Amino acid sequence: MSYQEKKTIISLVTSFMLIAAYCLYAFGKAGMEHLNDLQFWAKTILIFIGIGIVALIIIQIVFHILLAISKAVQQKMRDEAIDDKEFERAFEREIVEDEMDKLIELKANKIGYSIMGLGFAAGLIAIAFGASGVALLNILFLSTWLGSFIEGLMQVRYYRKGIR
Amino acid sequence: MPDKLEITNNIRTLRFFANEMTQQALAEKAGVSRQTIIAVEAGKYSPSLELAFRIAEAFGVPITEVFSIIKKGG
Repeated sequence: MSYQEKKTIISLVTSFMLIAAYCLYAFGKAGMEHLNDLQFWAKTILIFIGIGIVALIIIQIVFHILLAISKAVQQKMRDEAIDDKEFERAFEREIVEDEMDKLIELKANKIGYSIMGLGFAAGLIAIAFGASGVALLNILFLSTWLGSFIEGLMQVRYYRKGIR
Repeated sequence: MPDKLEITNNIRTLRFFANEMTQQALAEKAGVSRQTIIAVEAGKYSPSLELAFRIAEAFGVPITEVFSIIKKGG
């Protein structure tokens, strides 16, 4: 499994954990008590976006450190004479982002944005049929999450099955 | 409608004749990741023209010796 693939899977797991926490909180007791309080939902979503960004950064840093350590151990076991500079070069080669990674990202982005767009349309339709602002906020937030989650899944699929 | 084209390659054979060059070594010469070389070799990714030339240059052969085209359905 390549570095990019591992990185995407880590992001997917983080993103899934975050949305699970959001659903438990928002659709649990706290959310039910503020069904028509738009301010509460806006604050909740903002807080979860903030937590998500921070969690993703921390997890990516930890993943990067752990990967570097595991690669260093593997290299040392294979070749004890390897020096730090040589290892650094080997690690940089491992994490390089090339044209295939960029193409996969672009293709997956396209799918992710389409889902977000559909979510926006679904939100407008919901409002047109009399749904509340809280419903619109949730549809927008969840469709944005779903778009980025499916984007990640598509990236993993492209890495596994290939891209032509 | 034009025929569908499939790009095939001889990278495995060329690596064998290049003293069993590793995929990592080829990746370094071509300036991409090993994952990309694996995908190109397996026919799962059609490289850009630039990468195709860089792969050919890594073996010191013309591009037509590395990649060829098969017409499908024609």
